[in-house]
Amino acid sequence: MSTTIQAPTPAPGGSKTPRPGVGPVQRNRLIASSRPWLLLAPALAVLAVLLLWPLIRVLLFSLQDYGLREIVSGESNWIGLANYGEILADPTLWGVVLPNTVGFAVLAVAGTVALGTGVAVLMASLGGFWRTVVGSAIMIAWAMPAVTGTYVWVWIFDADRGIFNEALQAVGLQDEPVNWFTNRFSFYAIVLLNVIHHGFPFVAITVLAGLLGVPKEMLEAAEMDGAGPWRRFFQVIVPNLRQVFSVVIILSTIWDFKVFAQVYLMPGGNGTNREALNLGVWSYVESFGQNRYGFGSAIAVLLTVLLLIITVIYVRALLKEDEL
Amino acid sequence: MSTSAPAPTTAPEASGALPPGPDGPGTPRAIPASRRSSRKTRSAAGKAVLVVVLLAFTLFPAFWMLSSAFDAKAGAGGQTLLPREWSLANFEYVLTDGGFDVYLRNSAIVAVVTVLASAVLALLASVAVARFRFKFRTSMLLMILVVQMVPLEALVIPLFVQVRDLQLLNTLLGLMVVYVALSLPFGIWMLRGFVAAVPVELEEAAYLDGASWGRMFRSVLLPLVMPGLVATSVFSFITAWNEFIFAMTLLGGASENYTVAIGLKQFFGEHTNEWGYIMAASTIITVPVMIFFVIVQRRLSSGLVAGAVKG
Repeated sequence: MSTTIQAPTPAPGGSKTPRPGVGPVQRNRLIASSRPWLLLAPALAVLAVLLLWPLIRVLLFSLQDYGLREIVSGESNWIGLANYGEILADPTLWGVVLPNTVGFAVLAVAGTVALGTGVAVLMASLGGFWRTVVGSAIMIAWAMPAVTGTYVWVWIFDADRGIFNEALQAVGLQDEPVNWFTNRFSFYAIVLLNVIHHGFPFVAITVLAGLLGVPKEMLEAAEMDGAGPWRRFFQVIVPNLRQVFSVVIILSTIWDFKVFAQVYLMPGGNGTNREALNLGVWSYVESFGQNRYGFGSAIAVLLTVLLLIITVIYVRALLKEDEL
Repeated sequence: MSTSAPAPTTAPEASGALPPGPDGPGTPRAIPASRRSSRKTRSAAGKAVLVVVLLAFTLFPAFWMLSSAFDAKAGAGGQTLLPREWSLANFEYVLTDGGFDVYLRNSAIVAVVTVLASAVLALLASVAVARFRFKFRTSMLLMILVVQMVPLEALVIPLFVQVRDLQLLNTLLGLMVVYVALSLPFGIWMLRGFVAAVPVELEEAAYLDGASWGRMFRSVLLPLVMPGLVATSVFSFITAWNEFIFAMTLLGGASENYTVAIGLKQFFGEHTNEWGYIMAASTIITVPVMIFFVIVQRRLSSGLVAGAVKG
């Protein structure tokens, strides 16, 4: 590729005095060829010790009955695939956790990408001033940390004094305050609102950057040929932005599958309401709540494998090999 | 503010619709011109409505957070959109008796160390993957992407055991080390786009002038990549500032070492939650992040896309 250079092998001094074979030239060449590795070494060391090794370890834990005793003594206690067997036989997985994880992710990705793209199209059609206003506003939504954002949504929907309940009562739609966090669907509806609100700005800004790069001539030509706005969008803009949409969809999927704080911090989300568990929270609650680190690790491995499969499918379908 | 929003939006659109009018009469399109301009105003009005709805949806949580934070009676029931009793009492309590002064200091220390360490490591690594072709380069990049995808819940169990074995539980050092690792993959991935965007010719020119690789790196590459480095650093700052699950797990027992993200927990009571305090503390946490975000937003998004599609 054009942006890559060969390592600058011969030092200027070396080329002036052509000495064949050994000597500084060869040493320089050695330094040059090892330079990328020298540059990578510190980062790779950190990644290996703190990300790769833990990943291997979580796999090892998942094959053990690993509890507090094992943590303290450091001994292993192999039980083979028993943890996985227990998970797969657990009705919680099929009835609650998997629907909460997968169903939620599908809705969240669809909602985030749709809203984000819509906002990007709207922003592209606005004048400079209003584009800046909208851009700054969505930046505020984006910047809101997940933790505080979640608390704000909890406060809005609070059962006793939340503004949502009070507004509904003021309008007369309900007589009594409703606790929206006990029902599984309204619980996840709030999580969905939270996640979409927090996630769509990234999509909007990224897609907008792509939209502004689509050649005007192409759109005008399509308009001349009688293509309406919808047709122009799906047949000119979307193919042009395939790359951008791939990135946005892949990242949103990865993020939405592993929502944790947004669920955990809601009332009942930390495992007390079993109906609200998703894979990540289930894993955490089993590990740190019940001290069943092996069982929790097995759930975490399942979540990771699920994400891996999805990513591979996406990358295969959306990105060509030479684009990496 | 929201009522004044639609008017200016329609203005540029309406003036944009005007030009076809005056020169219309001479052309065969004279008659449809008025119909077209009315359609234009209608679409401009529709756009204005969309903008207002969007602004309301986008800004409401932040607005509500601020409004409750400044309201001495927040959480007393009977909420109104604006505070009934403006006061700084919530902030005062949070920063003194609430202990947020300590949490803020802890978070700042953790974030600054994380930013510095991960910026150095990510810059070196990104130069390697963006500028050199070497064996395993592609597999390295894929590995970094895959590692980034791994859910924190999978890492928290083994890292908890690891940090415990090193006797770093309940210390800020243990947390910093973990955060550096967490922000590295994304940092490398993003900086790679910025490094790749620097024209190779500049580097070659430096070599022709007799610069060594190290000199070229310092005098040519580093200044040009600086904007990207700033953007990446902001990102790792935000990661460290906002992170919740590791802070909760690794600092569980030592409340004097809490970071802001988990310091909020203490305002949740058994039966009642002190919403005024919670929202004031949330405001304190959120404001620095927002300021940073607005500063780097453009670079952040363009760098992300560049990093994804450029080699």
